[in-house]
Amino acid sequence: MVSVQILENGTVSFDGIGEPLFEMLKQIKGIAECGDPDVEARFFPDPSDGMECDDLNQDWKAYVQPELQSGFQSARDTVAADLRRATIKEDGSRSFGIPAQHIDQWLSALNQARLALCELHQFTEKEMSAKVDNPDDPRELALIQMNVYATLQEWLITVIG
Amino acid sequence: MAVIETPDIKTKDQADLDSVWNVVVHNDPVNLMSYVTLIFRRVFGYDRTRAEKHMMEVHKNGRSIVWTGEREQAELYVQQLHTHLLLSTLEKAPQP
Repeated sequence: MVSVQILENGTVSFDGIGEPLFEMLKQIKGIAECGDPDVEARFFPDPSDGMECDDLNQDWKAYVQPELQSGFQSARDTVAADLRRATIKEDGSRSFGIPAQHIDQWLSALNQARLALCELHQFTEKEMSAKVDNPDDPRELALIQMNVYATLQEWLITVIG
Repeated sequence: MAVIETPDIKTKDQADLDSVWNVVVHNDPVNLMSYVTLIFRRVFGYDRTRAEKHMMEVHKNGRSIVWTGEREQAELYVQQLHTHLLLSTLEKAPQP
């Protein structure tokens, strides 16, 4: 069973992470880095949808997007590094910690992965709130994955909220 | 002989500087309500009640005007919201 603890130094410590769950966490970076055009469009939306700011949309692509890209990348790298430091127990379960100063990067990377999954599978709002329990179906597996990431996000928001 | 290129200088016209701009956040089904509230509190410094009011507006109406003011500040806010992956845009506020 997964146990979550907040240590004295603010680190959020996870114990008892089984292989399937740990695998899902390891996939955060890869999913967010899929490079799909719809995903890229969601990550980097225009700042204006009207004609009144045509120049702004162009400037945004040139100057703001690279900065956003770098921030997103840094968040994904931080998550991957925290997971690489996970330890394996005798029963095969993993333990790892999210240092307090990494929580924002985790929130970002989890959000990136959830947004990417939604775009990749073109989920509707109805599908996202439906009950799912069949991990053999790739769409349902993606929904399960989104729910797992959402749960982790909620925990982290509670910690910093 | 070296040629010095003329820099491409863009200026904002007075109308842009004088007008008032809205920062709008649009609904998306993925971002968690708690996450959106947290970001509103962080970016705009809103208290929980005000942040939740805007979050619910986004959720129910599809959009919420979360801030109104000068264009430069509005651009900065939109950039911060994009950093947190919220769908947001700026738009010229209607003249009174």
